[in-house]
Amino acid sequence: MLELVGVRHRYDDRVVLDLERFTLAPGATVAVVGPNGSGKSTLLRLLALLERPSEGEVRLDGALVAGAGAGRASAALRRQVTLVEQRPAMLQGTVRDNIGFGLQVRGIRRTEGNKRVATVAARLGITPLLARRRHELSEGEVQRVAVARALVVEPDVLLLDEPTSSADRAASQTLYRVLAEERARRPLAICLASHQLEDAYRWADDVRALAEGRLAPVTPENLFRVELPSGSGDLMHVCVGSIEVAVTTDKTGPAILAIPATDIIVSLEPLTSSARNVFLGRVTRLSHQRSGVVHVTADVGVELVAVVTQAAVHDLGLTPGGPVVFSFKASAVRVF
Amino acid sequence: MDLAPLGHDRRGVDFLAEGFRRAFALLVSGDAEVYGIARLTLKIGVLSTIVACGLGIPTGFVLATKPFWGRRAALTVVNTALAFPTVVVGLLLYGLLSRRGPLGAIGWLYTWQAIVVGDVLLAFPIAAALAAAAVQGVDPRIRRTAETLGAGRWRTAWTVAREARFALAAVITTAFGHVVAEVGSAMTVGGNIRGQTRTLTTAVTLYTSQGDFGLALALGLILLMLALLVNVGLQALQGRGSRA
Repeated sequence: MLELVGVRHRYDDRVVLDLERFTLAPGATVAVVGPNGSGKSTLLRLLALLERPSEGEVRLDGALVAGAGAGRASAALRRQVTLVEQRPAMLQGTVRDNIGFGLQVRGIRRTEGNKRVATVAARLGITPLLARRRHELSEGEVQRVAVARALVVEPDVLLLDEPTSSADRAASQTLYRVLAEERARRPLAICLASHQLEDAYRWADDVRALAEGRLAPVTPENLFRVELPSGSGDLMHVCVGSIEVAVTTDKTGPAILAIPATDIIVSLEPLTSSARNVFLGRVTRLSHQRSGVVHVTADVGVELVAVVTQAAVHDLGLTPGGPVVFSFKASAVRVF
Repeated sequence: MDLAPLGHDRRGVDFLAEGFRRAFALLVSGDAEVYGIARLTLKIGVLSTIVACGLGIPTGFVLATKPFWGRRAALTVVNTALAFPTVVVGLLLYGLLSRRGPLGAIGWLYTWQAIVVGDVLLAFPIAAALAAAAVQGVDPRIRRTAETLGAGRWRTAWTVAREARFALAAVITTAFGHVVAEVGSAMTVGGNIRGQTRTLTTAVTLYTSQGDFGLALALGLILLMLALLVNVGLQALQGRGSRA
């Protein structure tokens, strides 16, 4: 198990990551979602043992591997965890050299290495790229090569930072298929950072939200960075995009506002109820989840996601483009 | 208007032309003294560049990549040493190597070895400072990529060095150019002894002061050719590398 314990990481005295505990169990698939600058990439670099936390510890199978009292993580330790960065860098040489790099540093013989490189390249559909050099590759191709050179060394933990940000739909599907095949073949824990919730839900068993360097205490949908007005009493109206959301809080100033997707009531007409927040809009997307529920995304002035059952979708006759009303209580809105 | 007499200009041109004629004659005839001086300069230059870069490039690498207490101060010292006057380095070394100095017992004063030591002291900060800048210029993702793929300390350093290879080649040529062109230290600790410690730069200084302009010019041309050859070599290397 790979875990961060009591980690506060700073860049130039600015805290960019503040996590009480973050664990990655063997064989788990975890998605970390959050907006740009929320600390996802820093989190992955700490997990990959490429940076030492300013405070706190990184533990691998219970043993301290980075933090106070631990020296620089050895190559042997780092070899258990491999990171694919959002914008990966190609090393000097051909794609074949790049994919073979990790095998070479592990002392694997060239004939065996070439065989493994050819296999992983075929699985990711990049065999025609093997003889190319870095200036002959597109961003999407570089990402696929980076995934290939991470997979070929068969790490216990694979960390992927927005692995499909430059990929087209077919390339994304290939990547997720290959990762699923790899997990079926051997125990592999994967932690994926993404700002695409749909990908995260479709693919990961556990989706965690990161906001301003902290794990959000709610599911990652409907997170907004807001400025809370002062002196408005307990019930205040906060501007979120083009709508005003009623919230109950005594906080003021900058904050994160979270509207739990499960607390939103979906209807076709406005309901007479105690809900202080009632917004009319149109369905933009219906996303059927593995758990049997449906994520209803609607544009109500901002994009909000509600979670309903498949039966509810059927009964209400929800379709993309159709009208919808989202209602939720002011007390359901979380502020942190 | 103060016009110089025509005859004066004519004499100036003749003097220059005569100097070039004699220089080419000396070069073409394979004059033993000229080529002896060139050989010694090359020997001292190559040796001191190897030692200075052998020590300076790894130092630059450490300064660029390892966070340690006093790193910024060390970088400042190295950068300041870039502008150290060669004659002052020669003077300090003279103090160390002179018979009454702490290193007088080894008897290196007025030997070519003393010139090498002086040149190493001059070229070391160049190699360290420029290598640090070269390594700092490498995309930090290269280092992270090597490490996350399992490379150890040395393999990671080698991978980063390969990315900075052109800048590092420029470090070597700059260091070489500096040591073959310096005169202050070589004159002070070498003594400009004919056949023993006379280098191209000290010889040019001497023969110019003696009025043998042709011989000085011949040696100067060899110095220029050396610099030209090193730069042509570097450019060829860069041309090949840009296709890598």
